[in-house]
Amino acid sequence: MVNVMKGVLVECDPAMKQFLLHLDEKLALGRKFIIQDLDESHLFISTDIVEVLQARVDELMDRISFPLHEKDP
Amino acid sequence: MADTKSGRFASSSAAISPLVQSPENLECKNFQEYLRTRQTPETLEKLYNYPPICLAVYRELPEIARQFVIRILFVDQPVPQAVVTSWGAQRVAKEQMEATSCLTALCVWRVTAIPGGLAAWELSPTFKKSVRQVLLGGGKPWAMTNTLDKDSKPRDITFLDSYAMSRWRCVLHYMVGTGGRNGGTDAEAISPDAVRILLHANLMKRDERDGITITRQGFQFLLLDTRAQVWHFMLQYLETCEERGISLPECLSMLFQLSFSTLGRDYSSEGMNSQMLTFLQHLREFGLVFQRKRKEGRFYPTRLALNVTNKDAAQASTTADEERMQERGYIVVETNYRVYAYTDSQLQVAVLGLFTELLYRFPNLVVGVLTRDSVRQALRGGITAEQIVSYLEQYAHPNMKLVESAIQSKSCLPPTVVDQIKLWELERNRFTYTEGVVYNQFLSQNDFVTLRDYAQSINMLVWQNERTRTMVVQKNGHDDVKRYWKKYSKSGG
Repeated sequence: MVNVMKGVLVECDPAMKQFLLHLDEKLALGRKFIIQDLDESHLFISTDIVEVLQARVDELMDRISFPLHEKDP
Repeated sequence: MADTKSGRFASSSAAISPLVQSPENLECKNFQEYLRTRQTPETLEKLYNYPPICLAVYRELPEIARQFVIRILFVDQPVPQAVVTSWGAQRVAKEQMEATSCLTALCVWRVTAIPGGLAAWELSPTFKKSVRQVLLGGGKPWAMTNTLDKDSKPRDITFLDSYAMSRWRCVLHYMVGTGGRNGGTDAEAISPDAVRILLHANLMKRDERDGITITRQGFQFLLLDTRAQVWHFMLQYLETCEERGISLPECLSMLFQLSFSTLGRDYSSEGMNSQMLTFLQHLREFGLVFQRKRKEGRFYPTRLALNVTNKDAAQASTTADEERMQERGYIVVETNYRVYAYTDSQLQVAVLGLFTELLYRFPNLVVGVLTRDSVRQALRGGITAEQIVSYLEQYAHPNMKLVESAIQSKSCLPPTVVDQIKLWELERNRFTYTEGVVYNQFLSQNDFVTLRDYAQSINMLVWQNERTRTMVVQKNGHDDVKRYWKKYSKSGG
């Protein structure tokens, strides 16, 4: 007996994977989306969430980056 | 998009998920790719009737492939494949394979059977004839001939260079929409034919509201170096020339004759048919040839036309001249991400504005700053970090090259800035997505190993773990794997 599921394989660094796990756990995208936790840099997630996820990650990156220099007034 | 060639798990990083809408990027093909993708074997055969084209094809072949061609050029019978293989040592087997497939893809040679059932290679007769002609002479005279009488007012190389650049800049100015405002000779409008090519090439698009505007690909085009721009533009020209009633092989042949000609020499257009004269006028418009008057039977090829295909060779031999021809560098980049551009050209400011935030504008100086936002904007527009960096390098101010760090490293830009631009790009690609199917809960290790090995053998395996008995297969490989699994479990495993 073999179990088969369709989805998307995500490859990323361990830090980003933790972020995804966090989103999943907190239901930040409205529901669970991780199908299987494969290893420290791979996750298997459902296909329809990818777009939302990308927007969310972009948002995160914007939040954690700071302008390197001040603009003149 | 799925990369089926690369090995085991490498494919997961190479395959970009079709889920992510990536903008269409500017594709710059080299001559070989152009022939391989744009031409059918029949049209290739037609092209090979023209010796200059064959010479260009020959020059562009990998080194080993050139060896093969020369070795069998004067052999009047097919050569067994085994013989050809035996010419190279085992350690260059990979290069040999590449050479072989390259020659096959370009229809330079083809497989035939010789008595005894052996497979053999045979050069395409047309190609063979043309290359022999190039080497030994004979055949029809080339359309482009040396002039017999001396030009009363000969033009020197400096003049030709500045002429070529000013013509070419006209096209670029038109693209950024600054043609009309600048005044002076640069502002000559470009012909409807040129506009049609830009539209066809998708470098510009016709907009209901604004008329003709530049596209994403157009911006990428502006960041290329001049040689690459000319080549890309000419390829697009060739695609439209058939519908204008000019024959493609003749144009291509003419283009290569020009590219093999000598800079600073004048040639005669006598003996060219009316189609080729039209083509010559187009080349004149883009600055690939100089002609004093439309009707004059004498023209000078410019540097833009020389070595159109071969980027590397041309760069090696003419870098010094090239630098003289292209405007001197004008950009200073500081470690604090500030960019100073000593320029008054609308074109250069517009290009710079693609990826910098412009702060001040003075008559001969523009000050901007590279910010995460401005660079990301460019990245979203489909421009790559590599393109930005190489543009800044290409036009770096001469003083930038005198800085100590620039002398030690090969780039004259501050390393922090280069790294940061690349990091900004990487930050957008922290994830790679591969659509696929996961298989788990195998009952036995044997089942798992069998299925995994099968998936691997058809290059569809993306990820696997033996301990958890889990594997991920590419989406388009699922059907095959499923079929195999059914067969396998039916046979009792």
